[in-house]
Amino acid sequence: MASQPIKPSLAGNASQSQRTSQPGLRYPSNGKTIYHRPLNRSRTQELSQASFAYLFGEMVSYAQKRVTGIQDLEKRLNVQGHPIGLKLLDLLLYREPPRTQNRPLNIIALLQFITTILWRHLFSRPADALEKSSNPDTPDEYMISDNDPLVNQYISVPKEMNQLNCAAFVAGIVEGVCDGAGFPARVTAHSVGKGEEGELWPGKTVFLVKFQQEVVEREAYLPKN
Amino acid sequence: MSYYFAIIGTQDNPIFEYEFGTSKQGGDGIARFPEQARHMNQFIVHSSLDIVEEVQWGGGQMYLKCIDRFYNNYVSCFITGGNVKFLLLHAPSQPAVANTTRASTSIAANPTSPQIEEAIKQFFTEVYENWVKTIMSPFYQVNMEVKSPVFRARVAAAGKKYL
Amino acid sequence: MVNFNEERVVYALIIINKAGGLIYQRDFAEGLNKLNINDYLVLAGTFHGVHAITTRLHPLHPPPPPSSERPDPPSGIEVLETENFRLQCFSTLTGTKFLLFTEPQQPNVDKVMGKIYELYGDYVMKNPFYQLEMPVRCEGWERRLVGYLRVLNSR
Repeated sequence: MASQPIKPSLAGNASQSQRTSQPGLRYPSNGKTIYHRPLNRSRTQELSQASFAYLFGEMVSYAQKRVTGIQDLEKRLNVQGHPIGLKLLDLLLYREPPRTQNRPLNIIALLQFITTILWRHLFSRPADALEKSSNPDTPDEYMISDNDPLVNQYISVPKEMNQLNCAAFVAGIVEGVCDGAGFPARVTAHSVGKGEEGELWPGKTVFLVKFQQEVVEREAYLPKN
Repeated sequence: MSYYFAIIGTQDNPIFEYEFGTSKQGGDGIARFPEQARHMNQFIVHSSLDIVEEVQWGGGQMYLKCIDRFYNNYVSCFITGGNVKFLLLHAPSQPAVANTTRASTSIAANPTSPQIEEAIKQFFTEVYENWVKTIMSPFYQVNMEVKSPVFRARVAAAGKKYL
Repeated sequence: MVNFNEERVVYALIIINKAGGLIYQRDFAEGLNKLNINDYLVLAGTFHGVHAITTRLHPLHPPPPPSSERPDPPSGIEVLETENFRLQCFSTLTGTKFLLFTEPQQPNVDKVMGKIYELYGDYVMKNPFYQLEMPVRCEGWERRLVGYLRVLNSR
């Protein structure tokens, strides 16, 4: 079956010549490609959290195969999220009203885009906090807090892996947005739901965003507005 | 008026290119770059990337308008959130070429006029919509060449509609 | 008054996998004899065997099934009552059994069981680190189960 040539449609000469030059290309039977679908979605179109939970569970299991350690596992989850961030950056900017359809130019604008627009798109609510590192030695570090990350809702990490936080996937998405927007950064997820705060939010996670040196340097000479 | 449109990735790598002519004022949509200058288009467009890098941090808007000029070639730029550049080189028909009268009466005679600026903006906006659809494909990775004939047809349609 | 409170107590939960192995056991109220882990395993295995036998014991001929549907399999033991406690057994479609030990007068045991099954479906079965048929050690499940039953027992 696979060796059968693709049946040319009646779409006209131009597209036929395109097809013969690209033998690997196939069209859906109804002729509708991704270009025929709208980019906007209505507010009510939400996904089932259960189906996401099963999908994400399988992604975690997949990432766990032949893994060398916790760090490696978090790295793999991060890598799975990264391209999503790159894609969402442009999709969400596209959906912004034309007046505010602006590329983020400084760190604060970028992080506000992430904690409000990106977070609302992914989790239907903004992030719980955004802070700058108070340590003068690390002016390149910012913290985004989420009291109860949606991706971890049904996940219980075994004791022997207690360094692991599966929200590394979300960290990858955030990293993708930062990289895409021209603010190369390293983003990691850390569980902080311990001690007295842990009573209220046992799953609390902090996303540590560490920008590269060049970003901080550029920030210094860009006009402030 | 002849156009050369290119999409440049984040590593200054070309992702897509398309050459076309105006369809306004009875144009037939075919590019008429002088044969000896045609191969220069890529160089001109790529040399304007340095200017894009200077301009892009000056303001947050995506459409950067006309950013560069090389003799009779004008380069307009649109930069996406993901730092991908759409570059459009537009070369008004040379008065020396046969149809002088048409060229002088058309708005194309002044490539930085507000009408042209607006037309290019609309062209870019439509391409941007299709670009976002391209990158939403799960099989598309950053900086990959765009081979979709549907995308090419959409760019061609936008060129025909606005330019 | 004291009695009234005591009438509504969920004592303990046991989960048995489809092979008869004990995969979860927890007490929720004071006053139960503590067994050692081996005894719990024996209890689970014995109940599993008895349950299997009861699914075969059938004093009546089953009514002929409607031709289009498969008949429900016989359910086996559903309730076991004594003067001190009541044992409700819920067997899932995949053969996992939930045993709930309550006061004999505990109302709405079906609802309680349904809620526990829901928590199990969410916080055990959706957890990528849980291996099927293995002992349940999930912090999220533990936290929500205990939270739910603590509220129920203190009402």
